[in-house]
Formats: sequence, C-alpha cells, structure tokens
Amino acid sequence: MTTGSVPKRFSIPIGPQHPALKEPGHFDFSVDGEVVTGATVRLGYAHRGIEKAAENQNWVQNLYLLERICGICSHIHATAYCLGVEKLADVEAPPRAQAIRVLIAELERVHSHLLWLGVTAHEAGFDTLFMYSWRDRETVMDILESLTGNRVNYSANMLGGVKFDVTDDNRKAIERGVNFLETRTRHYLNVVTTDQVFVQRTRGVGVITREQAEQLGVIGPTARASGVLRDVRVEAPYAAYRDIPVQPVIETAGDLEARFVVRLKELFESYRLIRVILEQMPPGDLNVRMPRRPKAGEAISRVEAPRGELFYFIKSNGADNPERVKVRTPTLCNMASVLVTAVGQQLADVPMILAGIDPCFSCNDRAVTISKAGDATSAVWSWQQLRQYSQAYYRRRL
Amino acid sequence: MNAPTGLGALVSLLIFPGGLFVLANGLVFEWIDRKLIARLQNRIGPRWYQPLADIIKLLAKEEVVPERADPRLFFALPIVALAGVLTAALYLPIAGRFVFSFPGDLIVTVYMLSLLTLCTGLAGANTRNRFALVGATRTLTQLFSYEVPFFLAMLGPAAVAGSWQIADIMAHNSQQWLLFIQPIGFVVALIGLMGKLEMRPFDAPEAETEIVAGALTEYSGRGLALFYLGRNVELIGGLTLVATFYLGGIHNVLDYFLKTGALLIVLASLQTLMTRLRIDQTVGLWWRVGALLALAQWLVLIVIGEVAL
Repeated sequence: MTTGSVPKRFSIPIGPQHPALKEPGHFDFSVDGEVVTGATVRLGYAHRGIEKAAENQNWVQNLYLLERICGICSHIHATAYCLGVEKLADVEAPPRAQAIRVLIAELERVHSHLLWLGVTAHEAGFDTLFMYSWRDRETVMDILESLTGNRVNYSANMLGGVKFDVTDDNRKAIERGVNFLETRTRHYLNVVTTDQVFVQRTRGVGVITREQAEQLGVIGPTARASGVLRDVRVEAPYAAYRDIPVQPVIETAGDLEARFVVRLKELFESYRLIRVILEQMPPGDLNVRMPRRPKAGEAISRVEAPRGELFYFIKSNGADNPERVKVRTPTLCNMASVLVTAVGQQLADVPMILAGIDPCFSCNDRAVTISKAGDATSAVWSWQQLRQYSQAYYRRRL
Repeated sequence: MNAPTGLGALVSLLIFPGGLFVLANGLVFEWIDRKLIARLQNRIGPRWYQPLADIIKLLAKEEVVPERADPRLFFALPIVALAGVLTAALYLPIAGRFVFSFPGDLIVTVYMLSLLTLCTGLAGANTRNRFALVGATRTLTQLFSYEVPFFLAMLGPAAVAGSWQIADIMAHNSQQWLLFIQPIGFVVALIGLMGKLEMRPFDAPEAETEIVAGALTEYSGRGLALFYLGRNVELIGGLTLVATFYLGGIHNVLDYFLKTGALLIVLASLQTLMTRLRIDQTVGLWWRVGALLALAQWLVLIVIGEVAL
C-alpha cells in the first residue's frame, strides 16, 4: 500500500531490519528534507503458516498453537478460539471460568499497555520512561506467573472453561500489585501530559481525525483516541463482560498524546475491572465437558485484544480437525492509518506514529501475493516456477 | 607561562596532561556518564572497563570501507577529528596544567572543539549512506544552531577579563565564581556543551530509532573507535572549559576532578530527564531562546561595564 506522491526524491527505508522495529516489516518513506512526502509499507516477512497448521491439528492442539500467534496478547487469542469452538459445540463455559478468562485478559491488557508505553517512549528517545514503565510491568508479569505458572503464554484456557482457580493467596497478590500499579500509572499519566519536552513530541503530532478513523476502519485504542467508540467489550460483550459492563475511554484529539492518554486511562479501567471480578467471583465449576468433535458449522468470534478487535472465523466439518481457522489481528486494520498520517509529518515523528498503533507484525502477517503495479498476471506461483525463479536469482547474484 | 621544551615537552604532549592522560580520563568520564544514566534509569549499567573494552574491540575489528566513499577521506576524517580535540586539550588547564598558552588561544580551542562535529558531518556525507546523509545534515544543522550561543557564552568571561587568553581569563576570575555573576551564560554554555556532544535531548543526529547511528552508520572498526575517543576528549575539553570560565578556574588535580566531575553529574542527570528533540525544535530552541539568552547576558555585562566605569 502506498500513500502520498509517487516520484521519490530521497527515500528512507525502515526495515526489514532497523533499530526502530522489533519485528520485521518494511516501510519506505520518501522525504523532502525532514518532511515525509510519501509512504509505502510491505508486510509479510514473518509469515509463519499458523492458519494452515491449524487445519492439520485437532481442536485441543490448536489451543496451544493459536496462543502462540502473539507473544504479548497470547491469552486473548486462546480466548477467542475457545469462545468460537464453544459456540460451534453449543457449550457454554461456567460463570467462574468466564470471570477468570476476563481477569487474565485484563491483566494481560495491563501488561501490554505498559509495554507499549515503554516502547513508544523509547521511539521518542525518552529512555527513562521506557526503563521505569518496564520495571513496573514486571509486577503484572509476576502476578500472571503466580496465577498460571507462565509469564507469557499462560495457557489458562481450555475448551469448555479454564484450567485453574484463583486462590486467596492469588487474590491478595493481585490486589497488592494492582494498588502499586495504580499509583505508578497515575504518575505516568501525569508525565505524558505535563512533561513539556515530551508533550512537544506528541501534542498535535500524527493526528487521525474522527472522519479518517472511520474511513480507514481504525480500531482499538487508536480509534478511541480519535473519538470513535470501537470496543468489542462494549459493543458485543462476551464472557464475563456481559455481567461487568466496561466504561469505555474516549479521547477526541486523535494525536499521539491522545493515544497515550487513552491507553493509560484504560489501565485504570482495567484495574477497576480486576477488582470487581475479584470481589464478585461467581462460585462453581471451572469447566464443563466438551464433545471431542464440534458439530459441522461456522462460527465467528470477536474479542477485544489490547490493540483492538481480534477476529476469529472457525469452520468445522465435524471432523477431528477444524476445516478452516481465519485470524485477523488488529494491526492490519490500523496499518493504513500510519501511512496516511505519516505524510506531511517530520521524519523524526515517524517511529512514534508507527509505534502509536502498537503494531505486531508477526501476529498480522499472512501469506502475501505481490503484484507489481500495472502487471495483471497471476502472482500465485507453482512450486516449479518458484524453483526456477530462485535458481535464476542466485545465478544473477553470482 | 613558558612552553616546555625537550623531553618535558614530549611528556606533556603525549603522557600528562595531554595525550594518554586525556584519553584515559575521557574513558573514565564516559563510564561515569553511562553508569550514572543507567543507575538513574533503574538499570545496572556497564562495568568500569567497558569503555576501554569497546575501544579495544573496535580497534581489533576489520574496517569496511563502503563502496562509492572516498577511502582517503574515510580514513583521514576520524584522525583529524581526534587530533583536533587533542590539540584543543593542550590549551586547556587539564588537571590544572596548561601545556601551551598564547594570546587568542580561546578562539583556537573553541574552533578545535568544533572540528569533531565538522568531521562527523563530513564523514556522514562521504559514506553516501541514506541514514548517514540524514544524520550528517542534522549534525551540521545542529552545529549551526548551538555554536553561536555557545561561543557568546564563552566570550562573556573573556570580555570581563579583557583577554582572549584562557590562562588570563582564569587568573582574572579565580577569586569569584562567574557562575553566580553570569548565571545565564553558564546555563547557555552547559546546554551548548550538551548540544556539542550530541547528548539527549540534542541527540537527533544519532537518533537510533530513525536513522540507525546517524552520520557514523557506515563506520566500523578503527574509524569508529577514533570518533568515540574524540567524543570523549571533547567531553573532557568542554567540561574543563566551562569549569575554567564559570567555576572559578582549575588550579590543581583535585580541583580539576571535583569541578569537571560535578559538571558531569549535572549533565548525566539532565540527560535522563529529557526526551529527544526533533531537529527543527533544536534549531528553534537555540535561535529563539539560547541566542537571545546569551545576548541578554551580554547586554547585562555591557550595562554593568558602563555603570562601573
């Protein structure tokens, strides 16, 4: 995808390997002096074939595979998959399991937003905020580890419920951690809105107007920073969100500062939700029995990942394996907004604008077909064609 | 103050206080800077020999000359840069001792201290790397923004002393600390030094998240090591210059370490507090605020001078 003027004067390539990117992706910014005049993105460097692999594994094995799509929001992928498969099988997880799912999802949101705060501050060259926010993030990582035994891929879900309970010890540890994080978050909110030097880099930079946000289909915190209410937890509540309503955080400025404020204020909402869940944890079983093969049919499952709406389409033909699992991660929806907002901005602001949508390239990457502009021939190659191409390519190189 | 001759001259030039001492001192100060920033950022930071280990590693590495770069310029620039700042150090009271001194050495010293930045900019333009080109443009743009206010801040004490010779100026203000008499000049000089050294918030020329390593992106091995050494010597030179002019001069080794060390701590703390400024913001800051402040200091000096006369 390309925006802005096509004839390039001087282009700055960012990626596939670049210090600003923690994952491979390729951006090409044409610049006039320091001002960006055009932007191109090419994704697909970290395609891992997970969707195809999901078709070759059984329903339970897929839980572990899909949880590994994202290293940051792993739990929400498993939740989306479980909710979809449970819908197919006409099974509903018990209320306690639903509450625990939401509890972990909110803890995960805290960890993801704190991580984002650090990364984006680092893109702006504010390493002190980076180091401090990542130090405090350890608190929530420790909580997750004490709950589930893992810091990243928690493996909390199972088809039909969750695997473990929240004990009184856990409850106390969570309350302590959340209290600490709440004071720290208040401090960070104060820093990002009042630190004069930092505000110079964020206020009025990378503005996505409400109209643009709606037109480009921006989702998640990025949309909410532009005054568009897109939050699956509010629009189509799932799991325990049906009983515990979420108060969405909306900012209208649409600039980078608003994206900081939205995410930090969402942390307070997450702390509130965590406390409410711990208070109103329904008693009962942790899981129900699931049939080994769900009935044939299709299911759509939407959940709110920390970055925005996560979409799963699951198709079953009644066999041991799913026939198709399609995943759309929020990064794909937000990517277009980067290219549109980068044009006309200073080159120095581009890393922050890119980080502002909280991109996750390898979650987002699917097989891509590349067609050159004006070339209408099929871009899907056979194995034989691919072999010939690679041999010719290396012969040229030698 | 007589210039040394014979063996004494060689020792002063190569070992103490010039040459080796300055280089070693630079490495130590780099470590203090890095360690302090790390501790203030809640990190552990490097071990004491890390800067030296970096230099040794770089010196041992193969140096890759990029295609299309002029190899002579590529090799010469780091050497000129390091030679420039080392020469500047000879005219400064490093460890309380001047090696050379002559009327007008202030101008030479300030010019020599700028040579490193100039060489960095040229090196970036020479390597023809896109990141290096943007970095070089930023380096030189920044040079033109902080240099004038920094120079004005250096000339304030010179005007009071009525001399262009560093030793004279130091002798003139050794009784009182100009920090309290010309506070604006001191602030401009210190912040100007941060701009010179491309310290945060003025590190846009080497902003790693945008342009990798800026002008030095294509440098590896010996050239990079020499540039690093040059930057360390410039740190020493700049700190000494500011301490000489604004902190009542440097009279012995203890005095030297106390005053430059104190300034270094201030610089390290300032760096942790700041976000990187965009290059347009840097230029705006210097010309709208820095230059005006330096001029205001001058105005005060002139008015006081008139009244006193």
